[in-house]
Amino acid sequence: MAYVVPFSHVLVLAAILFLLGAVCALARRNLIMILIGVEVMLSAAGLVFIGAAMRWQQLDGQAFVIFIMAVAASEVAIGLALILYSRRRTGTINADRYNLMKG
Amino acid sequence: MTVILFILLLFPLAGGVINAVIGRLLPRRVSEVIACLGVVGAFVMAAIAFGLGGWKSLHLIFFDWIKVGTFSAAFDVYYDPLAAVMILMVTFVSSLIHIYSVAFMREDTDYVRYFCYLNLFVFSMLVIALADSLLFVYLGWEGVGFCSYALIGFWYTNLDYALAGRKAFILTRIGDVTFGIALALFFYFFHSFSLQYINAHATTLSVTMATVFGLLLLWAAMGKSAQLPLTVWLPDAMAGPTPVSALIHAATMVTAGAYLLMRLFPVIHLSHMAMLVIAGTGAITTLYASFAALAQVDIKKVLAYSTISQVGYMILGVGAGDFVGGFFHLLSHSFFKSLLFLGAGCIIQACDEEHNIFKMGNLRRLLPHVYYPFLIGCLSLAAFPMIGGFLSKDRVLEATFIHPAPIYKAFWAIAFLAALLTVVYTFRMFFTAFLDRPDGRTADEIKPIPRLMTVILWPLAILAFCDGLLNLPFGPISNGLAKFLAAVPGARVDLGAPAAVSWGLGLGDAALVLVVLTLTYFVFRRPRPDFWGSLNETLFTAFYLDWLYLNLIARPYERFAAVLWRDVDERGINAGFENTAGGFKVLSSLMGLWTNGKLSTYLLMLLLGLTAMLTVLILSWHW
Repeated sequence: MAYVVPFSHVLVLAAILFLLGAVCALARRNLIMILIGVEVMLSAAGLVFIGAAMRWQQLDGQAFVIFIMAVAASEVAIGLALILYSRRRTGTINADRYNLMKG
Repeated sequence: MTVILFILLLFPLAGGVINAVIGRLLPRRVSEVIACLGVVGAFVMAAIAFGLGGWKSLHLIFFDWIKVGTFSAAFDVYYDPLAAVMILMVTFVSSLIHIYSVAFMREDTDYVRYFCYLNLFVFSMLVIALADSLLFVYLGWEGVGFCSYALIGFWYTNLDYALAGRKAFILTRIGDVTFGIALALFFYFFHSFSLQYINAHATTLSVTMATVFGLLLLWAAMGKSAQLPLTVWLPDAMAGPTPVSALIHAATMVTAGAYLLMRLFPVIHLSHMAMLVIAGTGAITTLYASFAALAQVDIKKVLAYSTISQVGYMILGVGAGDFVGGFFHLLSHSFFKSLLFLGAGCIIQACDEEHNIFKMGNLRRLLPHVYYPFLIGCLSLAAFPMIGGFLSKDRVLEATFIHPAPIYKAFWAIAFLAALLTVVYTFRMFFTAFLDRPDGRTADEIKPIPRLMTVILWPLAILAFCDGLLNLPFGPISNGLAKFLAAVPGARVDLGAPAAVSWGLGLGDAALVLVVLTLTYFVFRRPRPDFWGSLNETLFTAFYLDWLYLNLIARPYERFAAVLWRDVDERGINAGFENTAGGFKVLSSLMGLWTNGKLSTYLLMLLLGLTAMLTVLILSWHW
């Protein structure tokens, strides 16, 4: 039996990665950095799927990662396009400057 | 017969409807002629019906109205001698009043509305007089109430007049409530609204139920006939045009209450208790109104109180078990009272809208055309011997006197005293207005009135003078009306009093009336407005009855309503809702602070919410 990373290690690493991504998305005001934070969080979730697939020896988890990567890619594509457009319209990519949604 | 009676009802209804719908488009003359034709036509039909079968008792159905299962209410009439005479009187008097109105309202621009209501008024009264189904009667009953409201408040731009109309409406409505209850009970006991059926099967009622019915119907009659304690609307009803007063007092409305009791006599007759209360109401009202009439200065108010008093005799007649006497008095009253009101209308217009009798005077010289008919009316009202009013009143008094129950002797005494007071108040008014006096009117203070208005008085005067012939107590044509009405259930042709009692009462009555008349002449041939001294105020306000109602019922009611309105509704319910809504508003504006439009805040909240959900999940996990 090959050397196997324990599942708990994978979970801890994923949690750290998720928190880093969350803090990045929350603390930064730059739209690109927020988008990157969200990507990092998605990757953390994907990591948990990989770990779980290995833990239970099932391929479903890996299949899910493929989906997550596809979603993340399209998200980034659309997100970056939106950011670019917003930058053209308003001249800024600082998230706090956008106040059209103020109630 | 069915067709004749149907057309009879259709005439005034059509007149009213035509005037209501296209009256404004027609020339004034046409509109007036339509209104008069509506009633005169009804009179002709009533006369034809009377000639063809006034002595029969017929139940005729026009067509069905409501039909549900076994229940059916139809537009049907119960034509018996009582109704035959009643509609003859109603249509005759109304016809004269309509014609008189043409002259009386000659300067009023709102004649279309006036004639429309006048026609509908007569129609409603004819429905009451004829209808067999009590539901149909109720229709007419409410119709009369509405038309009286509309006509009393005819000059509605004057607030007092409009309020008088409202007062009449509300007070008669208070009376009508029990008529509605009686209707429901009738249906419960008889499964029918038919008057004929109810009268025929009245004996199946227990005495207690008969008493209940008697009292309910009496209360309804009190409202319409302005008996104590619901009298107060009638004096105020003088706000309407004078022909309307004549119509309300003589032909329609006021007599409806007494007539209803006569129509349902077999039911109320079963209960001695109810009869006693009815008689007592009549007697006391008679005296009460006589006292009140003593001190009035408005010529129409004297007549209004005299009506209350005279209707009291009709009710007393019913209560004494002799509705024929009551009906006889109803007839003679309608003749002399319409005569007096129409005469008063002439006087008022001639004196330039002056109602105060102490500002008249000298009218015998100045208005001879009014003087003689008016004198006949006054004599009839005061029961001058052998005139119609005397004979009918005498019959009522005699029926009361010979009633076996001892308390009726007291009622008789009260009514007799009232009869003498009638002489006093009638001729106080008459002498003050008509006799010569230095401070009275002069010829140039009299405005000319149309000839038609005085001519109309004569047929009524002749009838008021001669209608005693209908029911003479002796002679070859004695008790004519009573014999004619003999087929009506409960009618007594002859009172059966011993000749000595009968003659004694009649002669004593006649003698005392003459004595009091003489005394009145010597006291009131000079105008004496302050004759009653300190009593004047009490009499003038009719024993402060209006004031009492205002302070004991209306004011507390108003105050209660104000509490409900201001404290309960506005300060309680309304404010409660408003404050709750205000609270939500504050809350939502606080929540609104969250939506500051900053993406970072939303993200933070999203994660906080996720954390909270996960925390709950973890804490509730069964490890």
